Amino acid sequence: MNRFDLLKLIQKQIRDYHVICNIGYPSQELFKLDDRSNYFYMLGTMGLCSSIGLGLSLSIDEPVISIDGDGSILMNMNTLATIGNRSPNNFTLLIIDNGSYGSTGDQKTFTNEKTSLKKVAMGAGCKNVIECDGIETPKVLSEAIKCTNKSYVIISKVKPGNIKVKSIPLNPIKIKERFKKNIIKS
Amino acid sequence: MKVSKKILTILKKNGVNFFLSVPCKLLSNMISILEKDKEIIYSAVPREEEGIGICAGAHLGNKFPCLLLQNTGIGNSVNAIVSLLKYYKIPTILLISYRGTPGETVKAQYQMGSITKNLLKTMNVPTLHCNKFGDLDKISKYVVKSKKIGTPVAILCDFNLMKADQ
Repeated sequence: MNRFDLLKLIQKQIRDYHVICNIGYPSQELFKLDDRSNYFYMLGTMGLCSSIGLGLSLSIDEPVISIDGDGSILMNMNTLATIGNRSPNNFTLLIIDNGSYGSTGDQKTFTNEKTSLKKVAMGAGCKNVIECDGIETPKVLSEAIKCTNKSYVIISKVKPGNIKVKSIPLNPIKIKERFKKNIIKS
Repeated sequence: MKVSKKILTILKKNGVNFFLSVPCKLLSNMISILEKDKEIIYSAVPREEEGIGICAGAHLGNKFPCLLLQNTGIGNSVNAIVSLLKYYKIPTILLISYRGTPGETVKAQYQMGSITKNLLKTMNVPTLHCNKFGDLDKISKYVVKSKKIGTPVAILCDFNLMKADQ
């Protein structure tokens, strides 16, 4: 199972929630699967997906899901400490850990070697840190979304690989404005 | 405390309600006030670039964010300022202690101090330089501009101005 397979698997679970999606292939694959106005696609700033999700979850009451990747988490690991100390109960951080910098040519990340994002997240103070295989992810994610009195960090282990996708044809202002309309409504 | 209180009063009056800080000695009074303020959301953050990301998320959640940082932190967040805040037109207040300005005692601070204004200009971030108490009255205009055109704005607070407030 690779990232796209996992996104397909969880698509129905996340489609009605505010989702912040990581830059590059993750956003492009999600866009291809099911473009929705409640999905915020990142077009730049690798590493900040988890931080944007945290900022949103601190600002609203509804559930927020950040779909991040291992390479991006490694680029901004300090935000795990902020999440560990400040994350509200409505925030779920789903890290799709394929051990690969998928969008830059599939170079291997350190999660292939000695780095455990589970241990990093726990050490940073995050509670409810669950590492699982891709196939188990829907069950874990469902528990995390339903549970309104806990914040979760899920590390979903999948294989590297991307599918052929085009760039997202939306401009950043459009992505932002339509996303914000959902917030105002809810 | 006079300067710190005045700056925060102006920001709050103009709708700023979400604050983050990366510490600087010169910002310590403001941070102490924010820590006790129940009317706003406040948190410390370990690094400036991350703070920009959290600010962007706060804006998506209809908050008006402000990041307190030292000017050295601008160097840590150039990409986040242009590729996130500018690109998505996200109003954000960057409240900056301007190290390396007259009165500065740490020589190393002059390195970033000497390029800070040019960096902000290159990024097309509207910038207000406050070096005396009277300059603080101009902050309102910049906060309004930030919201109106969807841009980060920088409020640079000189070393001597902030030092006198400690």
